[in-house]
Amino acid sequence: MTEGRTVARVRFLALFVVVMFVALSARLWFLQVLASDQFRSQASRNSVRVVQTVAPRGKIVDDHNNVLVGNRPSLTVLVNRQRLGSQSSVVLPRLSSLLKIPEWQLRQSLNTDQYYSYTPVPVAFDVSKPQWLYIESNQSLFPGVSVESLPVRTYPNGRTAAHVLGYTGQISSQQLKDPAYAGYEPGDIVGKAGVEQVYEKYLQGTKGVRKYLVDASGQNLGPIGTEQEPVQGETLHLTLDLKAQQIAEESLKLGMQNARNFVDSSQGGLLKANAGAVLVMDPNTGAIVAMASSPSYDPRLFTGGITQQQLDKLTSPGSNQPLIDRAIQGLYPPGSTYKPFVAAAALQTGIATENGQYECPATYTAPSDTTGQQTVFHNWTTQNLGLMSLSEALIQSCDTVFYKFGWDFYQKSPAEPLQRDLGAFGFGKPTLVDLPNEQPGVVPTPEWLHKMHRQNPTAFPRNTWYPGDDIQMGIGQGDTLVTPLQIATAYSAIANGGKVCQPHVASELTGPGLSKKGKPIDPPCRGRLPFTAGQLSYIRSALTQVPVRGTAAPAFQQFPFSQVWVAGKTGTAEKIGQQNYSWFAAMTGKTQNHADYVIVSLVEQGGHGATTSAPIVRRVIEGLYGLNLSAANPSAPND
Amino acid sequence: MDLIAGRTWSIERRPIRHLDPVLIFVTLALSVIGLFLIYSATHASLAAQHLDLSLYVKKQVTALTLGTILLLLVMTFDYRFAKVYAGIIYGALVLLLILVRTPFGTTSAGAQRWFQLAGFQFTPSEYMKLGLIIMLAAYLSEVKSQDLSLEQVLRATLLAAIPMVLVFIQPDVGTTIVLAAILVGILVVAGARPKQLAVLALSALILLFGAFQLGVVKDYQLQRLTGFLDSNNDPQGANYNKQQSEIGIGSGGITGTGYLHGTQTNLDFIPEQHTDFIFTVVGEEFGFVGAVVMLLLFAILIWRAFRIATLSKDPFGTYVAAGIGSMFAIQMFVNVGMTIGIMPITGIPLPFVSYGGSSLLANFLAVGLLLNIHMRRFK
Repeated sequence: MTEGRTVARVRFLALFVVVMFVALSARLWFLQVLASDQFRSQASRNSVRVVQTVAPRGKIVDDHNNVLVGNRPSLTVLVNRQRLGSQSSVVLPRLSSLLKIPEWQLRQSLNTDQYYSYTPVPVAFDVSKPQWLYIESNQSLFPGVSVESLPVRTYPNGRTAAHVLGYTGQISSQQLKDPAYAGYEPGDIVGKAGVEQVYEKYLQGTKGVRKYLVDASGQNLGPIGTEQEPVQGETLHLTLDLKAQQIAEESLKLGMQNARNFVDSSQGGLLKANAGAVLVMDPNTGAIVAMASSPSYDPRLFTGGITQQQLDKLTSPGSNQPLIDRAIQGLYPPGSTYKPFVAAAALQTGIATENGQYECPATYTAPSDTTGQQTVFHNWTTQNLGLMSLSEALIQSCDTVFYKFGWDFYQKSPAEPLQRDLGAFGFGKPTLVDLPNEQPGVVPTPEWLHKMHRQNPTAFPRNTWYPGDDIQMGIGQGDTLVTPLQIATAYSAIANGGKVCQPHVASELTGPGLSKKGKPIDPPCRGRLPFTAGQLSYIRSALTQVPVRGTAAPAFQQFPFSQVWVAGKTGTAEKIGQQNYSWFAAMTGKTQNHADYVIVSLVEQGGHGATTSAPIVRRVIEGLYGLNLSAANPSAPND
Repeated sequence: MDLIAGRTWSIERRPIRHLDPVLIFVTLALSVIGLFLIYSATHASLAAQHLDLSLYVKKQVTALTLGTILLLLVMTFDYRFAKVYAGIIYGALVLLLILVRTPFGTTSAGAQRWFQLAGFQFTPSEYMKLGLIIMLAAYLSEVKSQDLSLEQVLRATLLAAIPMVLVFIQPDVGTTIVLAAILVGILVVAGARPKQLAVLALSALILLFGAFQLGVVKDYQLQRLTGFLDSNNDPQGANYNKQQSEIGIGSGGITGTGYLHGTQTNLDFIPEQHTDFIFTVVGEEFGFVGAVVMLLLFAILIWRAFRIATLSKDPFGTYVAAGIGSMFAIQMFVNVGMTIGIMPITGIPLPFVSYGGSSLLANFLAVGLLLNIHMRRFK
């Protein structure tokens, strides 16, 4: 125990503390009990008016920092419905004649549940300065009407890359209920498609908030608290290259135009060539350098809200669905572009060998198919091409060799090694590209067929898996469906030695909310092909001959192969009731076997792969390497 | 018989059996109440920014967990080790106070106060309070005479003056006041005579006057200090904080508006509400009753600290406990006093309750030391 004097001194100190408590309690008694009413009325007179300012969305730039989507100020007319009240019948006609917008359209804009009743509703964008000044100087004529300069999206390159960029629009009532959009308010502008949608939360930015103290009579007593300035959204850097994108779009457009003057070699009549897609990808990373889809649309239609008529036009059947991004949302039979994958699977399972020789007759019939009316599978030519190596079968694109492989794969059922290997390439499931509404495609299996039959017996009357299903799969027909992006990803894996990369269009986010270094977006290459380096090299060597002396040779005449290496595969996919779909998938680089790019072209009803798609890909390659641009003229296939 | 009695005695005297449950309860009660108050003070503005509503609460829980671990660690060794290392602890903290003025430190709101370390903020001035307590206690416990000589008082003052000046120029007037209170508290208990303390007070006044004249004090501090004296300012002026804080507490009345129902709190009228002005949440939402309950909890906390000062087996323990008691008392008084308009606005957190990791950790370390002295009070 401490001695008495110390205890006394501690008590002395404690006395001070007691005085402190007495002082605090006394003051609290005064504030909270005696004077409470006065403070309570002061508190109730304290009311806050919150004024929000829209933050400009983040910019979207290409890999050389060229602005693809920016912002510009737009003079916007807003109407506060609460303050407009009963005067709408006088004010709206006045506004209508000033802005030259029909009155019914103004009423339509105002008749919305997208805004709180006290939030001003925008009714007209991009009004002129005189109109703005007129409204400002005649406020008594326009109660509840205000003009503000709001940031809206601007597209310096017009329609370029519209499908990748997407567009913006007012948040929908479903989105407002979605937990992913927690904190959003009615009337907010959000990304509705493309990267605008996928990277919405980074591009959105933070609204500025200013709070004003307002007394009971509504008089502004000045700002309170600290002002939050609006913070622009982060800048989204894409892997897209503006120049490559323009070349891809031009080449696709040109190739399709030219094809429409060309006679369909298989059915006669001019080719329709009414839609298509072109992809350019860095096979080593999965970075998408260009992604074109045709028909396209003008994203500028959506700034300031698209009208119902414009939207109806974009979605009408006659417009052939320009809002669809065919590179990721279009499902097509891959045709012969599938053969390299089937060949690799055949090598891996021992169905084929690198030195083996295979018959290439004009037709093929399954050995089990011996009774009744036999199913005859035709090669693309009626000639018997005789014995050939696997490599030659790829170069000549011999269907009957691959029918035989399909039959051999059928024999391995129920292990389904072909479907397993196709799955390793990424078919039958989404590639997880950072764009919305990607289609997964179909790799048919017996289980898949049973399931589809159960779900929809009319569309899938069969419940039995036949040899024909495997035989058709051997040449990329039957129920097989792929997206152009899946083909690009799979060819990239062949090009890079077996890595299956997650394709992506964004590379990095930078901005005020992030550290100086930014936030890299670099999805990993998780997949690994189950083939040896030798097997992949064998396939690449065969594909190298395709543009030189194989099926694509007509499209690559006089191409400077000494300067640029091109390996590729044509595809001519059949779709019942339509002209053939034209495919060409290629890998290209400065030196052989070192691909800088994988390029895929698909043209709906574009005929043979060599006819429409191969010339398009050739022109893209020429553009990428600065060669003289060819005209993307259709070429007659060799047959 | 003797042997058995001896063993019983030694088991009886094992330190772990002699924790102070009242002190532990009060510490935890204040901390947990703090979490609820921080939520109330921040949820509305976090919602407006589209952030996690319990962002600050989660961070505070992390600090609380870390604080509890530190507290347990501090209890495991004998507190007299602190006396052995007092010089090193004190010296290191003074060095950090100097370093925080260099580009290593982070500047915020015009003051340079903390280090940014791997996502954590480290505020040396929060720990300096404890460092000074240990240093003064170590020095004064070596004095063998009943009363202190003027020279000893001046030496102790010099020990306190060095960190006080360093903290003052950050500028952090609040912590300077706390350091001064620690010095006075320990000096009183160590036996300084009233005359000596009067000399100290006088020289402090002269120094303070000199500091104002030389412009060492920043404008905003001066405005806050004078705003406290002149109570009829406009809402945007320097006195705005005090007015809104008083309106909040006053409108709470006897029983308060109810948890999460304070309009002053929800509408973000009171700045820094989760840190320095946390007491306004108690005042508005729980009224006079809630405010008094909170003051009672602090009274118990300080009573336990002073009680431990009288129980300690050696002067070092006595002085440490008295210093800690003084530290809690002055922080509580200045903080609550500023929210109800009887103290200038100086930016001192309310111990255990205010949001802030460094402050919480330092306070838990202090409680750990108190428990340590209490546990080992038997000679």
